[in-house]
Amino acid sequence: MHIHAYEKIWLATSVLLILFLLGSVTYGAVGPGVAMVSDTEPTIDAGALDEDERFSEPRVEQVGENEYAAYVVARQFGFQPDPIVLPANSTVTFYITSADVIHGFEVAGTNANTMVVPGEVSEITVRVEEPQEYGLICNEYCGAGHHVMEGKVNVVSQAAFEERTSGGDGE
Amino acid sequence: MAQNETAHAPADDVGGDTEEFDPIGTLTLIGIYFVILVLSWVYIYYIEFLGRDLVVVG
Repeated sequence: MHIHAYEKIWLATSVLLILFLLGSVTYGAVGPGVAMVSDTEPTIDAGALDEDERFSEPRVEQVGENEYAAYVVARQFGFQPDPIVLPANSTVTFYITSADVIHGFEVAGTNANTMVVPGEVSEITVRVEEPQEYGLICNEYCGAGHHVMEGKVNVVSQAAFEERTSGGDGE
Repeated sequence: MAQNETAHAPADDVGGDTEEFDPIGTLTLIGIYFVILVLSWVYIYYIEFLGRDLVVVG
């Protein structure tokens, strides 16, 4: 079969393009470590969140050196805790669940974005850097008050975070 | 389009080694599309996606 020289060129470049796209995604996974929302969390009873060890009291807690876990409950129409206060330069894993209907959890303007499904726990781990205040919005229509469902994620300095936890959390 | 052009090609170009049919315009157009695709992808993935805060790592 005769294949025109130009056709060979654009066949080869299309193959290169595909390899480049796949290579980028591979690089993203290996280099910066981009990952998907984890689906390894077991299901929970959305109707009994107040009896759940993690979600009865939505909070941010330290789980390792510079590692924090944020347990977040989304419900009509808001997020708990609000604001979610995180220390700068740390790794934070969000465990988010819903108490009623499907919600969204999107830290506005960032890649932290997941669906929040009742009965499921969405787990995303992010690296937070400088102190900054982010907006938090629900991006799945969840009812009449969907448009007012918002929260805040405040990244504060380590010192401010420690002061806050030692001051407010004295049990 | 390409089929029509190749369909009558054997009449005067049976050997096929002499490239009389020379669609340089098509080649240029595909080249431009290709560059647009690559630049858009670099922008979308490396600058917009990886450059944003809070990259999900786990």
